[in-house]
Amino acid sequence: MPLYEGVIYSGDKNIVVLDIGAAYTKCGIAGETGPRCIIPSHIKKDDQIVKLWDFNNEEELYENLKEFLFMIYFRHLLVNPKDRRMVISESLLCPSKFRDTLARVLFRHFEVGSIMFGTSHLLALTAIGVNTGLVMDVGYTETLLIPVYEGIPVIKAIQSLPIASQAIHKKLEDQLKEKATVNTAGGCKPMSSMPDCLNEQILEDIKVRCCFVTSLERAKQIQEVTVYGADSNKLPAAVPSVKFPLDGSQVLNIDGTIREHTCEILFEQDNEENSVPTLVLDALLKCPIDMRLELADNIVVTGGTAMLPGFHHRLQLELYDQLKKPKYQNKLVIKKFQFHKLFSKENYTSWLGGAMYGALETLATRSVSRDVYLTAGKLTDWCCIAEEMETEKEEKVKLKNR
Amino acid sequence: MLIILLFNEMSLSGPQHCLKLKCSECLLNEVDSHYCPMCLENMSSSEAKLKKNRCGNCFDCPSCGHTLTTRATNVAISDPDDPGKSTPKKMYYMACGFCRWTTRDVAIDDKTVASGGWEDIENTHAKKIQSLLDYYHELALNEKAERERKKYVRRRSHLYYAASMDKYGMVTVAVKKKIGAMSNVSIKENEETTTQITTEEKISDFPALPDDFFTTPLELSKVTTITQRLASPEFQPTITNDLYPKRKHLLIRKSMRCKECEHNLIKPEMNPLSIKFKIQLVIMHHIPEVRLMAPMEFRFKKELKVVLLLINPVVHNTTVSLLPVDKESDSFSTAKIELPKKEVVLARRDDAAIYDDATQMHQEFKDEKNVVAFRKANKLGVIIKVTPLIQEGDVKVSFVLRHDYRNTAVVLPMENQEPQISWLQHRIFLNLGRIHKSK
Repeated sequence: MPLYEGVIYSGDKNIVVLDIGAAYTKCGIAGETGPRCIIPSHIKKDDQIVKLWDFNNEEELYENLKEFLFMIYFRHLLVNPKDRRMVISESLLCPSKFRDTLARVLFRHFEVGSIMFGTSHLLALTAIGVNTGLVMDVGYTETLLIPVYEGIPVIKAIQSLPIASQAIHKKLEDQLKEKATVNTAGGCKPMSSMPDCLNEQILEDIKVRCCFVTSLERAKQIQEVTVYGADSNKLPAAVPSVKFPLDGSQVLNIDGTIREHTCEILFEQDNEENSVPTLVLDALLKCPIDMRLELADNIVVTGGTAMLPGFHHRLQLELYDQLKKPKYQNKLVIKKFQFHKLFSKENYTSWLGGAMYGALETLATRSVSRDVYLTAGKLTDWCCIAEEMETEKEEKVKLKNR
Repeated sequence: MLIILLFNEMSLSGPQHCLKLKCSECLLNEVDSHYCPMCLENMSSSEAKLKKNRCGNCFDCPSCGHTLTTRATNVAISDPDDPGKSTPKKMYYMACGFCRWTTRDVAIDDKTVASGGWEDIENTHAKKIQSLLDYYHELALNEKAERERKKYVRRRSHLYYAASMDKYGMVTVAVKKKIGAMSNVSIKENEETTTQITTEEKISDFPALPDDFFTTPLELSKVTTITQRLASPEFQPTITNDLYPKRKHLLIRKSMRCKECEHNLIKPEMNPLSIKFKIQLVIMHHIPEVRLMAPMEFRFKKELKVVLLLINPVVHNTTVSLLPVDKESDSFSTAKIELPKKEVVLARRDDAAIYDDATQMHQEFKDEKNVVAFRKANKLGVIIKVTPLIQEGDVKVSFVLRHDYRNTAVVLPMENQEPQISWLQHRIFLNLGRIHKSK
């Protein structure tokens, strides 16, 4: 990279861009093409792993965030937080408690100069360079889909489903406990007899290395058996099984069916006929009729779970397949779904959008400065309409004077 | 939780000063200097920024994270003039001493130089991202110019008109809100821009998984783990053949600053090899230490003499007095205490005196027997009388420690002035022990 590129956009400012996800936190410096690090969103407390999003009260969260952000600043990014600007990518449905506490830690403890809170779905669109799109974020705890039209989220058409990575891990664990065996020094034992040998990290590793999203025809045969209870000899020929080493002496035998069936949870319809692909169609149904074609033409899929092999292909086929269902057939006249190509890996797309924003001159006008926060004592949020957004005319001067 | 208390020294030069005890909560951490934990090379902050906090010479194994070592081999290179003759040449590659991964595993060519020959791989999207950034940059400039212009020319737009017609005043707020909050991540695009972004072709058909994916057995050793993937966030290799040596991440030395007066309290030396500090104002070097001499057995409403050990850390004699705290404001204590009424003097710390038993300390200070239990070098045992007021539980007392403090650390040597003496007060909370219920 030529020297001048870095100088033009980021200058000497070192603007930190942060995206705290449910499973992983993406952090880096504005103006760069990728995050400096992607680390699990948890801290270690007395040898116990404490997840950031699992908190009982705000005080606990405050302490945890303080430790976590300290680690990010002084262990990973190695920059001073004081009086620096910052970009945070947050979900539109981020709980106020979390958002407020995060702001409190950053402004009061770390004394950052200003924060821009950007909506992750909009930032994802920024990273692609479009204004309109149906953004689907398949994350850890939930799949959240927000249609965005000309830069404005269509709030009434938001769709979400609590089925994403976490659900996959849960299903994987259940299946392994039911069927898998472990080769140990003392012979072959069923997995269920040794409940302690699995943890979230191992499950994730198994998912990432062994599991995949199967093709639509095979999936239909599988669902025939697993969901509708057909005879198990109707299953397609199983994919080869895998021997997964747990540690030096134990080897987990993962059956081919587990590898193939696990990710089906994303596509199996629940009692209300909802699955990850139907979210797209439901969202389109709820959007005004004039937007539908354009949105179907601009689908953006982000989130780490979308990186599973075969996910995109399956999603696209499912969309066409579901479209034939009576629920949608006469209501949606969509011929073609088109997907946007990302300039990043799926799991840091919205981070990249934030990094682009952070590099622009207009960052100041879109962020809340520390002075404003301290005088107001709170943040404004998009959902409380009665509060006015702070304008930054005066603040800008103050920041310059500093 | 361990709280390191730091002592914030008064500075004579600065206009602001404070003489307070600070804990790690009320201090500001700062990045002081960058260094590589492997080669212990110091790096200036601008250079570290340019190199994205990575060392130029040291590499980590992409497979296990251990440090890679450079290995040299002799490779016979056939002479182009004389095919039968070959000359040995030194070539270098990198190998991990822990997991045995080598750069040869992933078909990276050996280098002719031992260091500096390893280029970074480039993000394939970098160009596209850069052009997008250029485009946004221009939009941002336009928006800025527009903002400047609006300051002088107040336009009557339809928005303002709608607002004036609005009965309840909600429209203005709502409109402002919409423009302000939700769409704060979209830049207006009505302006003409010179750079145009080429719209990337959309995908309407994703490739299916290959057919042999369902039949060939999975070779687990060729698929990377999630940690290996996330170790290089920009590339996230899925197969082990795509692994590439990572440059070693730098570490920092931290300095700490008081949030109130902005003076440095702890500042390490630049040299990463040195474990010394330039500034180190830690409480144990400045404030007398209070310790409990020996565990005691307490009884309800029974007075007991407790010996507190006071240790003087400074090289001057320190006058100490123990003062009671307000009864009303004290919700901590569970016992009544009787403190010595007179001041006591703590002898100066003299490192040599420890080895010298025959000092005449006792003559120097006139100690009263009922106040001072013993005296040795810079240590002093002070007797306090404690009467527990609870039947069971922790016996806790609280008092104020008042002592004089000579500020010597910041006096410039050329200014021949007397060091200032100030009096400091600290509230001390002591948990003396437990009363167990008598059977």
